[in-house]
Amino acid sequence: MDRKYTKLWTMVTLTLAGLMGISSLSLPARPGARQSKPPQTRPVQPKPSLAEITAGKSLGTKTAPILIEDFADFQCPMCRSFFLGITRQVIDEYVSTGKVYLVHHDFPLPMHAHSREAAKWANAAAVIGKFQEVETALYTKQESWGATGKVEEVVAGVLTPAEMKRVRALYASPEIETAIQHDMDLGRSKSVNETPSIFVTHKGQTVPINAVGASFPFMKQYIEYLLKQ
Amino acid sequence: MDSSALPAESSARPRWPRHVLLAGRLILGAVFVYAAYAKLREPWMLFAMAVNSYHFLPEWGATLVARGLPWLELALGLFLLTGWKIRWTATAAAGLLGFFFALMLYTYIKNPDSGTIHCGCFGSGEILGPLTLARDGALLALALIIAGGSFVTRARRA
Repeated sequence: MDRKYTKLWTMVTLTLAGLMGISSLSLPARPGARQSKPPQTRPVQPKPSLAEITAGKSLGTKTAPILIEDFADFQCPMCRSFFLGITRQVIDEYVSTGKVYLVHHDFPLPMHAHSREAAKWANAAAVIGKFQEVETALYTKQESWGATGKVEEVVAGVLTPAEMKRVRALYASPEIETAIQHDMDLGRSKSVNETPSIFVTHKGQTVPINAVGASFPFMKQYIEYLLKQ
Repeated sequence: MDSSALPAESSARPRWPRHVLLAGRLILGAVFVYAAYAKLREPWMLFAMAVNSYHFLPEWGATLVARGLPWLELALGLFLLTGWKIRWTATAAAGLLGFFFALMLYTYIKNPDSGTIHCGCFGSGEILGPLTLARDGALLALALIIAGGSFVTRARRA
């Protein structure tokens, strides 16, 4: 009698164990269940923080006496002129010497078909510390990608394949979109409706700069004036 | 005979045009003084950038205007407030405002979508648009009325 029951229990136990083994192979894992390997079909989603993205788009030391904020659209010709004619020289003379802290804010205008895409690439590049390279490439080749829409090609041209792989993964992350939206909301709070919109802050006082009439000599004299205050 | 006729003639004329002219020149004078103050309280480079955005002068010209115009506006404003050589002061003010208005109108018509050109009228930050044009047009009309009125008053006195 006992042996008969023992056999029966053994068979039930083995059957249950077999069923559990099969289910663990075929059923999807419970959310939160620890897995030894990430699933092959879903790539790892990087989650950069807003602060990380903003820091990546900023240049210089945070403690610099002058803060220059630039609300720009990568497809806007005037933003290109401002960047090539003024920003680059400001970087060379004042950002690199710790006198100016330069912050780029994205303000892609709906009238430009590829500006949001360009902003996303630039923000993704900012996370890996390659914003400046991508920004320069986007502005210098603006006419080309502005016409063809091949923004990715321009970005790939200044990054290594490994960097490009990381930037591609970041491009799709929702945090990038959130960072752009955050910049746009900030711009609207400062009544920005056109690009480029430049704000210079010194000793707590913020002054809007006329980007259309600005030139490097005027900017230089203004920065020097502020530094003497 | 002549001395008794003059007061009778002047009392027969209505006084309100004189009062209107006085109020007008005080308003215009105050506007000019404020415009000068708004520019002088800021570093001249900011106004120079506003002048430069009109693209009608080379950079050295914009620098000259940015450094000199606020003082001219201050002088005109004070002359208008005190009534010193009012005919010529009002004419100069009308000429200056006429030039500003024509330049602003031309720039606005040429770049109707550009909201990045700063008017520069009362310091930095004000965007050139229909409202700034309407305001400058109204000031020009006021300056013309004062200039015309002061010439007419002078002719009547003579």
